[in-house]
Amino acid sequence: MTLLLCVLTFLVIYPMAMLLLGALTNTNPVVHGFGVLDLSLDNFVAVLANENVHAALFNSLIACTGGTALAVVIGLTFSWIVVRTNTPWKGFIAAVSMIPLFVPPLVAAVAWSILGSPKTGLINTIFRWAGLDWRIDLYSMSGLIVVFGMYYAPYVYMFTASALRNMDPSLEEASEIAGASAFRTLFTVTFPLIAPAIISGMLLSFVVMLGIYGIPAVLGAPANISVLTTYIFKLTAWNPPLYNTAAAVAIILMVVTAGLVVLQQRVLSGRSYATVAGKAFRPRSLDLGAWRWLTLGLAFVYLFVVVVLPTLALIVAAFRKFLFIRDAASLFDMKQYSMVHFDSVFDNPLTVRSIINTMEVGIVTALLGGVLAFAIGYTINRTRVAGRGSIDVLSTLPVAIPGLVIGVAYLWAWIGLPGGLYGTIWILALAFVARFMPDTVKALSTSFLQIHKELEEAAWICGKSLLGTIRTIVLPLASPGVIAAMTLLFVLAIRELGSSLFLYTSDTMVMAVLLLDYYEGGNTGKTAAFSLVQTVLLAVLIGIANWLSRDSAGSVGRTG
Amino acid sequence: MKRILSVVAGLAVALVAAPVLAQDFGSAELIAAAKKEGRLVYYTANFAEVEQEVIKAFNKRFPEIKVEMVRAPGGQLITRIKTEAAAGKLLADVIGHSDRGLMLEMNDMFMDYAPPNAADYRPDALVSPKLWPGVTLGWALAYNVELAKNPPKTWADLTKPEYKGKQIGQVVAPSGGTTWTRVMFERQVLGEDYHAKQAALDIALYPSGAPLSDALVRGEVSIAPLLYNIIYTKIKDGAPAEAIFAPEGVPIIPYADGIPKTSKNPNAAKLFMNWRLSMEGQQFQIKELGNLTSLKNPPLYPKGWDPKTVKVWVPEFGPFEKLRATWVEDWNKTYKYRQ
Repeated sequence: MTLLLCVLTFLVIYPMAMLLLGALTNTNPVVHGFGVLDLSLDNFVAVLANENVHAALFNSLIACTGGTALAVVIGLTFSWIVVRTNTPWKGFIAAVSMIPLFVPPLVAAVAWSILGSPKTGLINTIFRWAGLDWRIDLYSMSGLIVVFGMYYAPYVYMFTASALRNMDPSLEEASEIAGASAFRTLFTVTFPLIAPAIISGMLLSFVVMLGIYGIPAVLGAPANISVLTTYIFKLTAWNPPLYNTAAAVAIILMVVTAGLVVLQQRVLSGRSYATVAGKAFRPRSLDLGAWRWLTLGLAFVYLFVVVVLPTLALIVAAFRKFLFIRDAASLFDMKQYSMVHFDSVFDNPLTVRSIINTMEVGIVTALLGGVLAFAIGYTINRTRVAGRGSIDVLSTLPVAIPGLVIGVAYLWAWIGLPGGLYGTIWILALAFVARFMPDTVKALSTSFLQIHKELEEAAWICGKSLLGTIRTIVLPLASPGVIAAMTLLFVLAIRELGSSLFLYTSDTMVMAVLLLDYYEGGNTGKTAAFSLVQTVLLAVLIGIANWLSRDSAGSVGRTG
Repeated sequence: MKRILSVVAGLAVALVAAPVLAQDFGSAELIAAAKKEGRLVYYTANFAEVEQEVIKAFNKRFPEIKVEMVRAPGGQLITRIKTEAAAGKLLADVIGHSDRGLMLEMNDMFMDYAPPNAADYRPDALVSPKLWPGVTLGWALAYNVELAKNPPKTWADLTKPEYKGKQIGQVVAPSGGTTWTRVMFERQVLGEDYHAKQAALDIALYPSGAPLSDALVRGEVSIAPLLYNIIYTKIKDGAPAEAIFAPEGVPIIPYADGIPKTSKNPNAAKLFMNWRLSMEGQQFQIKELGNLTSLKNPPLYPKGWDPKTVKVWVPEFGPFEKLRATWVEDWNKTYKYRQ
């Protein structure tokens, strides 16, 4: 317990204290030392009085509220289709619903800028070619909302699908016996009953959107739509950089997030949502009749819009020498296509090094983070030790901090440590473990909740120690969840840009930073080529992890 | 016959030039010591791809020395350098940055250094005897040849009403030292009302030059003032774009590159700096990368550059620092750019 608190203090409290210190001073704590600190609220006063910060905050709230609303519609629809209907190919739909989670935001945004730019977007080029008078413009607030909604729907899906699965159907049956239609039952009984899951999914997707840089940077910037993350990036990139101001803006972002968490608890307090009782049940499966082909069609449309279209855009950009497309005929002119961007990407020695480094960092992060999340999850969910509440809070805190800002806080906090941590992949791995702890712990907690306490008690009665019980009972039973959480952590580590920017060195360049280099270098072709390389790698690795997870799930089934 | 004569003349020049070039890079002792060190770490705010080409060319001459690069946007690089230096963990052997003011603030961090051909450099391109313009960039007017039917020929043309409605793209003033140089030139040379006239055309704003050059090639905008090197390599590869040097002047940005006192590979660092600043290094950057040079007598000129007519504009360092905050603020207001 003490060890866990020490680890969390090092990973969370210490960097956050540095961030707060940065926001309360106008100095770099490492450069100027702690002796000359002159604490004041000046940065906060300046930031709160700055009308451009108001505009950025307002834009962030609009984009994330709109995006969340769309994410709820998409996520809830698919969780209902997968869990509660007899739509064919449900496994396929479930997999499709999760795909956007694995796409780095910068890659998604670049793909959608190629598709949806008002002047040169491929969709508009096709409309013109077809003689249609329609035009789309994703360089706009509505564009931001649509892309946010599509890519963050999996968060809502994850929460609502498991809630629907665990719901006792007797209340729905009662509603139908009382004469309500299936549709009415859905909106008056089913969805209100899983409100906590919907609200949790909403909250998580809202908070994650609030911290995303890539999408508003690519789609918002051409329309001069500034949001909090792009504002923070500007503050750190301008000459001279304004980190202390950026830290103050980040703290405001954290306050907004904290406010939302409180709001969520207020909304849910005082009501009972208990639907999971002791008796066994199976979730009902609604027979949709011919309508099931419509629900399947919806899944195909989603797959087409979220996966096929952006991938096609990336393929066009990656294989086309220049992205100037005069008309639809030019789009199909094969002379314009070549491998030149791939040659150039692989000619760069940093490419292969960044792939190797990323894999190493990903594996180290997944292993370290997996062990830590298991310890935290077990302590929170399976023990009654004092202080487990504070562990819960500490492990959730990092969700609220934008990566760009916490990156510099990690640098400030850890560069001075004795030993050779700085300049190695370990510092990156530690930052990722800390940053994604909330995601990993939450993903694992569900597994713990599903294991009945009596299995552990049986082991204790048979004389097993606590560690022995964990090793022989809890770990094998929770292993599918552990592997899933580690896979999630691996994927998030591979995608992570913000906190890598300050911690990588020439020896530890990672793929996300190199991708930003290509993008900032103004070469969409190379950016797209490298994005495709990254996507293929991720797909292969997730495939392997899935296979491993399935294998271990099978073994658990056998031992169980 | 004429051809044979020119080949002979070329060979003669090469024979005479070869020893001179060798001397440019430093003494035999320095070269031997640099090869023994065998590596150096290079921090730069320039574009990674461009610097990769420079490293490749350097390695053609000195394959024994491995150059490892860390690239970050201007402000982030400065924060990293200051933090690393304060913690006693500065990993860089060479630092290159376009913002001479910010580099000058860290002057004490750098060792005394001058290249063998120091006397060949324009004195107004130096802000400190320790910091040297390994890279010199210049602003050009670029346009998409498929879209700009009547391309601009002067800076003044960029205020013409015919280019209204997001045809022109501009990099925002606070993005860094290079853009501030352009903004200062526009206001000092082209007139106090230049920005107001241009802002009235509803132009598209970009956070930095590279994404803008890409937008120009894609056709998102038709016209853009760009650093010549950003668009040059694309034109060379066949992109539908062209760039000219406008007659009112070419604002140039000499970088400030230096070697930190803490360099673990000081000889390799000196050799790398010497090569970049040598006639060969500068010639490579002009010919292959579209850079300019701060040498008093450039070894060659970029396409379309007539030394008799093109006026080079180097900002005076005093006003460059003094006017910056207020003029950038004015620019933000004029262009309604949110800061």
